[in-house]
Amino acid sequence: MRRTTTVAVAALSAGALVLTACGGRGGPASSGDTKISGDKIVLSVLNDQSGVYADLSGKNSVEAVKMAVDDFKAKHGDNAVTQNIEVITADHQNKPDIANTKAQELYDRQQADVILDVPTSSAALAVANVAKAKKKVYINVTAATTELSGAQCNKYTFHYAYDTYMLANGTGTTVTAEGAKNWYIVYPDYAFGQDMEKSFSTAIQGAGGTVIAKDPTPFPNDNFSTFLLKAPGLNPKPDVIGTMQAGGDLVNLVKQYNEFNLRDQGIKLSVGLMFITDIHSLGVDAFAGTTFTEAWYWNFDDQNRAFADKFKQRTGIVPTFAHAGNYSAALQYLEAIQRAGSDDADDVVAELEGHEFEDVFARNGKIRAEDHRMVHDAYLAEVKPASEASGDWDYEKIVRTIPADEAFRPVGQGGCTL
Amino acid sequence: MIRYLAESQRWLRLAMLATGLVVALALPWLVYPPVAMDIAVWALFAVSVDLLLGYVGLLSFGHAAFWGAAAYTSGLVAIHTGAPYIVGVLAGAVAAAALAVPIGYLSVRRTGIYFAMVTLAFAQLLYFVANQWRDVTGGENGLQAVPRSLFGVDLSDPFYFYYAGLPIVLLGLAAAWRIVRSPFGRVLMAIRDNPARARALGYPVDRYKLLAFVLSATLAGLAGGLFAVNHGFVSLQEVYWPTSGKVVMMVVLGGIGTLWGPILGALLVVQLEDFLATSGFDGIGIVTGSVFIIVVVLFRRGLWGTTSHLISLWRDRRRPPSPRPPDVDEPSLARELEKA
Amino acid sequence: MPDGTDAVVNFLQQCFNGLVSGSFYALLALGLAVIFGMLRVVNFAHGACYMLGAFGAYILLVEAGVDFWLALLLMPLLLGVFGMALERLFIHRLAALDPLYNFLLTFGVTLVLQDLVKREYGIQSQPYPRPSALSGSVDFGLFSYPAYQVFVLATSLVVCGAVWYVLTRTRVGMIVRASTERPELTRALGINVGRWVTPVFGFGIALAGLAGVLAAPMRAVNPLMGADLVIAVFAVVVIGGLGSIFGSVVAGFGVGLLQALANLYAPTLAQTLVFLLMAIVLLWRPAGLFGREEAPA
Repeated sequence: MRRTTTVAVAALSAGALVLTACGGRGGPASSGDTKISGDKIVLSVLNDQSGVYADLSGKNSVEAVKMAVDDFKAKHGDNAVTQNIEVITADHQNKPDIANTKAQELYDRQQADVILDVPTSSAALAVANVAKAKKKVYINVTAATTELSGAQCNKYTFHYAYDTYMLANGTGTTVTAEGAKNWYIVYPDYAFGQDMEKSFSTAIQGAGGTVIAKDPTPFPNDNFSTFLLKAPGLNPKPDVIGTMQAGGDLVNLVKQYNEFNLRDQGIKLSVGLMFITDIHSLGVDAFAGTTFTEAWYWNFDDQNRAFADKFKQRTGIVPTFAHAGNYSAALQYLEAIQRAGSDDADDVVAELEGHEFEDVFARNGKIRAEDHRMVHDAYLAEVKPASEASGDWDYEKIVRTIPADEAFRPVGQGGCTL
Repeated sequence: MIRYLAESQRWLRLAMLATGLVVALALPWLVYPPVAMDIAVWALFAVSVDLLLGYVGLLSFGHAAFWGAAAYTSGLVAIHTGAPYIVGVLAGAVAAAALAVPIGYLSVRRTGIYFAMVTLAFAQLLYFVANQWRDVTGGENGLQAVPRSLFGVDLSDPFYFYYAGLPIVLLGLAAAWRIVRSPFGRVLMAIRDNPARARALGYPVDRYKLLAFVLSATLAGLAGGLFAVNHGFVSLQEVYWPTSGKVVMMVVLGGIGTLWGPILGALLVVQLEDFLATSGFDGIGIVTGSVFIIVVVLFRRGLWGTTSHLISLWRDRRRPPSPRPPDVDEPSLARELEKA
Repeated sequence: MPDGTDAVVNFLQQCFNGLVSGSFYALLALGLAVIFGMLRVVNFAHGACYMLGAFGAYILLVEAGVDFWLALLLMPLLLGVFGMALERLFIHRLAALDPLYNFLLTFGVTLVLQDLVKREYGIQSQPYPRPSALSGSVDFGLFSYPAYQVFVLATSLVVCGAVWYVLTRTRVGMIVRASTERPELTRALGINVGRWVTPVFGFGIALAGLAGVLAAPMRAVNPLMGADLVIAVFAVVVIGGLGSIFGSVVAGFGVGLLQALANLYAPTLAQTLVFLLMAIVLLWRPAGLFGREEAPA
């Protein structure tokens, strides 16, 4: 009797072991043998494929990277440093601890030469530390935190596409310069919101405007009536409300902004962070007239439209800035390898630093050597009413182009020491 | 399982222990090392919750507060003092214990389901505080770049760090084991089974519950502190309520009141999540939720508990049933596990 | 907007805001309390049912062109049926056990429901327009307020009042209350308590669905809209007293009001306010403001 029980217990444990062995690839990291053979380049996309960022980036970013690989091969033909280029992906589910583990696994076990994308600031920063430890290249495309090119910068980490400074500075400066001098800022009371508010206030004051009042709101929050109702009563009356809310909170705020008819009372709305997917989900008419800074828009010029068509054929949807950004990051990475002649991380980093380029995503693009911040022209966009749209997903009107050297935080201000 | 344990022979327990140790030592060979450490710390976390749930009858749905608070403390100590990681981990456990005193004091006044709701609400409070207290916790960005050191020994390879961290986990598990098998543990079980009777016998029930709560929180803190060092960062996820839900799921899945069950539950859930992350499968919540529902409705003893129950049924089929004292009115978790 | 009375106007507007968001707390807390009273089950899935109410309204609009008013009638009914099915199929099985099991069960149900909706509709918020009849503002003299939100407040007051009336003045209500407070005695008097369990559970879920439909035009409709909310509702119910239906409603409006005022005067406190209040109530009156002390356990 006792024997059968022990056997059963042992069987249970053995079963558990088998289960774990099925999933695992254990053993110590092969020390010293981390150099990938120059014959294969592995690009990995680590992002959120089931949560908040799934539509903005998600699985379609993997397609964008694959497009970049195809275009790279087509351009260089037989002269390409190698034809053996692989694209892999993992879903971090917006959880930084999963991002951290997956990043290690991608570099260690799956021979990834570069990790791309990584939305969500906490995940983005965690992966930056992994890249630093593993000494492998990491190009972040979709996180907003300026820390990546600031206090937490490192040799192997690059920040592509956008950050909170670009967004705040773009909108704050441009909208103020266009005549909206008095601002009322509403921001969610957490890291992102606080950062945006500071950058916005600085930009506004720099352009000659005034921040009449600024209120932190709870995060998350679904009733912004307090703040919205306060606006018309401020003295002087604000010309525009700057909101730093994102996602569901932004949707709530805009709904209520419309409910209180603030636009008719002469108070416009500027959004710190907005994605084309937000406009799509809430509906153009709710957002019509709202201004925000955009990193890239598909219907801006012929080059963008051509890319959008190709992308739409592959994926069925119009590309967001994240998709275009991933395409560009992958392409520039491959080009850097081409120039360096090797995929060794240090060689590639040397080629990326200081590189100036133009591609479909980046106009006047440059990867700054001092802080690994990629700068490019940004755009002040305004949401078009449905009546002005020329087709599906044509939500934005580019009001002004913000030149690359104005759009991003000046070198040396972020606290990055490389 | 509880009844079963009480009558099992010493050598059988040793055999189970030996098997467990072998698995624990071999784990980083079978599983990706950072995941192996994750399994170990979640196992300790799950055991700490089971200590309260299975042996005191209190479902804490807010244990992430202790896990997370300890993680932040451990991370901060490591960053600001550069002390060996053990110091940070212990500091985390102390922080968790300190936090557990006021929360526990207010929570144990309520029982059963009320207790679950109150602990959940307190954990949510801590989440918002951590979010606000950005200068300390890093807020949404998280607490990054937590170092790990041990008097100059290089611990950067997760494979070797597993063996550095394993003793802490084993100590915590051993402590849980001792608590359960001590006279204190028996009083707790008496309180779980019939609080009125325990009170009538003169035991200060609330104080016992509070002490159990603090001990459980300390173990959760030990696990959380180690978690922070393993990952090298702490995020708001660690104090967010789905983390409390995840650990409860591990306990229920494995088997309430068995201590081994939660360890198994942790192994399965961590592996499942890791698997789902790479498989591209888009229905994690449906899978985990459905599994949870099935276990709660059909296999209340959990995997471990059901297995050993079946074994003991099979074992006893030749023996006539021993006479049992009539049930006292109030249902309790343990009694329900032994019925039907 | 008159300048001199600014502070007063702000205060009044805020109170109104508070009562509006309190409406949602109250409706949800009411449903939770009714279910708990009758079944001793704490329904973790209450937030998910609220979400289903909102999403249901959205789906009805998009797929079947059903407008807001019809959805307001239909969704609570549909959710009531869903609730009754849930009770019959799952909750009932665990009814004889420690209520913790049903709590865990409803937690599992929450995960499944949220993920199912997420798979079908993504995690982004869906647009739901305000009904055109309520798209204007109501002028209260000192300030004007969106008509839709006035409607929400009025509806929730009416519904809470109606439930109160039913519970205290009708036979059904008396049976429910008696079953809540003295189940054995009620049974001994020959009343079939059991047959009221399923309908009452369904009714509680229907209330959550009603709150969801009311929320759709003014809040973001996404799969997680009820997830954090339900925890705040738990705190509200603890404040009001878990066994007290009256307490839940009062606490709901009260917490909404206090939170809105905190938003105005002490914003950093606003998020944590409901939990701090809960802690204070637990210190001062562990049974809740209107609850009855349970037998020491």
